[in-house]
Amino acid sequence: MKRILAIARKEFLHILRDPRSLAVSILMPLMMVLLYGFAIDMDLKNIRVGVLDFNRSAESRSFINEMVSSGFIVESARLSNRKEIEPGFRQNKYRAVIIFPADFSLSLVKDPVTQIQIILDGADGTSAATVANYLNAVTSRINLSYAKEDFGLDILPIETRTRVLFNPELRSAHFIVPGLAALIMMMICALLTSIAIAREKETGTMEQILTTPVVAPQVIIGKIFPYMVIAALDATLIFLVGKFVFGVPMNGSWFALAGYSLIFILIALSLGLLISSVAKTQQVALIAALMITLLPTLLLSGFIFPIASMPAVLQYVSRVIPATYYLEIIRGIILKGVNWYPRMGGILTGMSLFLIILAIKRFKTRLD
Amino acid sequence: MASLEQNTDNTAVLIQNLTRKFGKFVAVDNINLTVSRGEIFGFLGANGAGKTTAIRMLCGILRSSGGNAWVAGIDINKKPELVKRKIGYMSQKFSLYNDLTISENLTFYGGIYGLKRKVISQRSRDLLDRLKLVGFRNRMTGALPLGYKQRLALGCSVLHRPRVLFLDEPTGGVDPVARREFWDLIYELSDQGTTIFVTTHYMDEAEYCNRVSIMDQGRIIALGKPTELKQEHNVKTMQEVFFDVVQPVIT
Amino acid sequence: MIAPVLYLIRKEFLQIFRDHAMRGIIFVVPLIQLMIFSYAVTTDLKDIRIAILDNDKTIASRNLISALVESDYFKLVSTAPNPKHLRHNLLTSDADVTLWIPLGFSEDLATGNGAQVALNVDGSNSSIALRALGYTEAVVRLQAMKSLESFIQASITIPSNQTPSTNWDLQDEDQIATSPRIVPQIMNPRLIEPVMRFFYNPTLESRYYMIPGILVLLITLISAFLTGMAVVKEKELGTLEQLMVSPLTPAQLIAGKTIPFVVLAYFELAVATTFAILWFKLPLVGSIPLLALCALVYLLVTLGVGLLVSTISNTQQQAMFTVWFFLIFGILMSGFFFPIENMPEIIQKITVINPLRYFIEIIRGIFLRGATFDDVLPNLLPMLVIGLVIFSAAIMRFRKRTK
Repeated sequence: MKRILAIARKEFLHILRDPRSLAVSILMPLMMVLLYGFAIDMDLKNIRVGVLDFNRSAESRSFINEMVSSGFIVESARLSNRKEIEPGFRQNKYRAVIIFPADFSLSLVKDPVTQIQIILDGADGTSAATVANYLNAVTSRINLSYAKEDFGLDILPIETRTRVLFNPELRSAHFIVPGLAALIMMMICALLTSIAIAREKETGTMEQILTTPVVAPQVIIGKIFPYMVIAALDATLIFLVGKFVFGVPMNGSWFALAGYSLIFILIALSLGLLISSVAKTQQVALIAALMITLLPTLLLSGFIFPIASMPAVLQYVSRVIPATYYLEIIRGIILKGVNWYPRMGGILTGMSLFLIILAIKRFKTRLD
Repeated sequence: MASLEQNTDNTAVLIQNLTRKFGKFVAVDNINLTVSRGEIFGFLGANGAGKTTAIRMLCGILRSSGGNAWVAGIDINKKPELVKRKIGYMSQKFSLYNDLTISENLTFYGGIYGLKRKVISQRSRDLLDRLKLVGFRNRMTGALPLGYKQRLALGCSVLHRPRVLFLDEPTGGVDPVARREFWDLIYELSDQGTTIFVTTHYMDEAEYCNRVSIMDQGRIIALGKPTELKQEHNVKTMQEVFFDVVQPVIT
Repeated sequence: MIAPVLYLIRKEFLQIFRDHAMRGIIFVVPLIQLMIFSYAVTTDLKDIRIAILDNDKTIASRNLISALVESDYFKLVSTAPNPKHLRHNLLTSDADVTLWIPLGFSEDLATGNGAQVALNVDGSNSSIALRALGYTEAVVRLQAMKSLESFIQASITIPSNQTPSTNWDLQDEDQIATSPRIVPQIMNPRLIEPVMRFFYNPTLESRYYMIPGILVLLITLISAFLTGMAVVKEKELGTLEQLMVSPLTPAQLIAGKTIPFVVLAYFELAVATTFAILWFKLPLVGSIPLLALCALVYLLVTLGVGLLVSTISNTQQQAMFTVWFFLIFGILMSGFFFPIENMPEIIQKITVINPLRYFIEIIRGIFLRGATFDDVLPNLLPMLVIGLVIFSAAIMRFRKRTK
């Protein structure tokens, strides 16, 4: 036990004395939470729209005002002829252009239906759909106000009573913080661990250690222990920042959160060990860790990109990724207050046992 | 001896009051030295005495804080780039590329010294012959035993026929037979007119030099032919001279 | 002057291709990354899981339901028997959205009293919640508008020889018409119908927007990481000192170290682009030479970063960590995943020094919109400035090391 502590202590000193690994271990996660919480918002705002108004009437003006008053849309350019439209798109000056025909205000009173043309930048397909949606909504509002004036109609034929559950303000922090915690834990436990061990192999100090009375399992545990502590520290830090800075609620039990997180950390650590046992150099360890742990966690676990939208193949892959289950669990705990996940918890536990045994076996044979 | 004119025919290295400070720490303290052409000069001293710093200045990769030196007739402070063309350097680490073959390493170093392809291939062939590495020319350097690497490193450093060759602990970790063979090569080079400036802390190698100097704490505290120094201090080996001259740290 | 550089380059290539792992990193890994990224990084919303409770069971309610179910966006996961069940669906994450059509829906619709439906969204998945909400509301709104239109048409009579006039002729558009308010004889409803058209990417494939960004990532990895680590490796081995002692000038050294990675980066860009075009049908509307030019400027930046980092690192691990640190934030704030205009003002100002931001915009412009030189200039210039600054700093530090 004493020997394990000695090894762990050395590893700690390594980390503490190297400002860069400190930066990556602690500063970076912290900055990422803050950045994500404050800066990152996936819902469109400040949508730049260009206006080509051939009519220049009070009616076209009021349309534009109504559009801008919602706060989502910003009039970013006033065009004077059709030729300017395309270059404006190419220079990314706006996401859409609204064109009012010359007889817009006339047509309003003369014709049953008045058309306006909206050209959207399809390059960012998803945003284009959203912008189209917004503009449709604006148009509906205006149509409704006309109907009210003309016919005394007060309300839309169908009104939706909307409620957003579990995260009423749709704060992306609520969504991101759990995912970020998982990502950081994976990064520290898998990436940093595998690099640290690969480094010792590369510089030959691993051999040195093995000539002492230390036994292989002691080496392993001693080496990964500091990273486990740092990962737990980081995760706690992230959750705390989430709670106190961004108001992420805690509707479930801290105990359950800690329990499932521990299992996840063990999985990540075992992965790190496995990677380091096959990687000969640090460069290889880095790339392997990136490919096997970080990238899948970032992309395929439902952290940012919805799994349902992925092709079937990748959806299957996501079922093998521990982060997929862990994320659902902790989001459920934090936001929905559900603490018990027999099926997913079982899968995670199974994964961790499997990986730990595999890692210990491989490591033993490799070292000896 | 404050001559600004260097006798380039006979003097290979001229060092005058050369000093280097790092902040308050004086690594090289006012050393003076002359090395003649074709001489094998042993630059001795304990670790941390200032040898490496001095060599760095002579190679043109470190500026001096005071004093000056001329290597192959060229002012190291004014024209360090020119100095680099005339010197060869071999360090303890051998500085070879383990993932290149012997001949690839030679070609590379010849190329960066600006030698033309034909010249490189001709000189490489000769060197491989003299270094007894012909059969291994396509072997991966990383797979070679230490003695071979050492010979290759020497070869790479003289491909461009430098006037002065700096060898920094060139025989570290190599077995005595290989060391002996290495010194044979050094003698050959010296016979051909290359000046050799070698540092070592194998005192038996000090015996092979024409002249030696001993550095301690930045200063040269002994200078002369090995036989002279041994007589002076009334001892039989350079090792004993060394013990006599260098103040022990623990007294 | 040039010949020694060629020897340096040759040595670098020999070393790269002899290293098994490096070969994998350069040839295999990028393609795998491209595949995974391109398929996974889709912001398209498909198969929004919706649970519906229909207490009305009329033609009108069924019309609404089929409007939802028939669209590609939604996937009906359950028709719940009661409201509690709906809530349960959200709790267990079986559904993303629930819709409750109460009894009396169709009646209220017919009398114009305002039929109501209740829409609940699982907010915990906020990446899709707002949009899921938006899409659902859009479908409901569409039904509402149809109903409104028919209501309005029923209230008035329209002479049959009147057709809506749309004035799209070129001659007329250049005049700006000021129209007086005419009081109509017949009461006409004022109804605006937006006619939408999508320039570039009419199928709104979100992948096309992402893949150019992925290409940027790939060449960034090669040029920033590998270059920095390559230089530091020589430092670690001691061969860098040997090179310093030789007559090589810092410029030659730097050229020798960076040119191989420029070549590799271009190679990767070409391969990845070709693959993306052939496999994913990525459109390439703009000019390839322009792309190559902009890539060169970008490489100036990334190689500069690699070099600069190598001068402040003593081990490969340090170099790795440093580049990693800056890269993560560079990517997050580049507009690749998250639009920059969504970010708070302060942070938007910070992105001004992020070269990734400029290159991603340039590359998206060239691929998808056919941007010309003039179009990319506002992004190219800042990138050039940043690149020159970083590269000069790297060269200065390199020189300093020899004194």
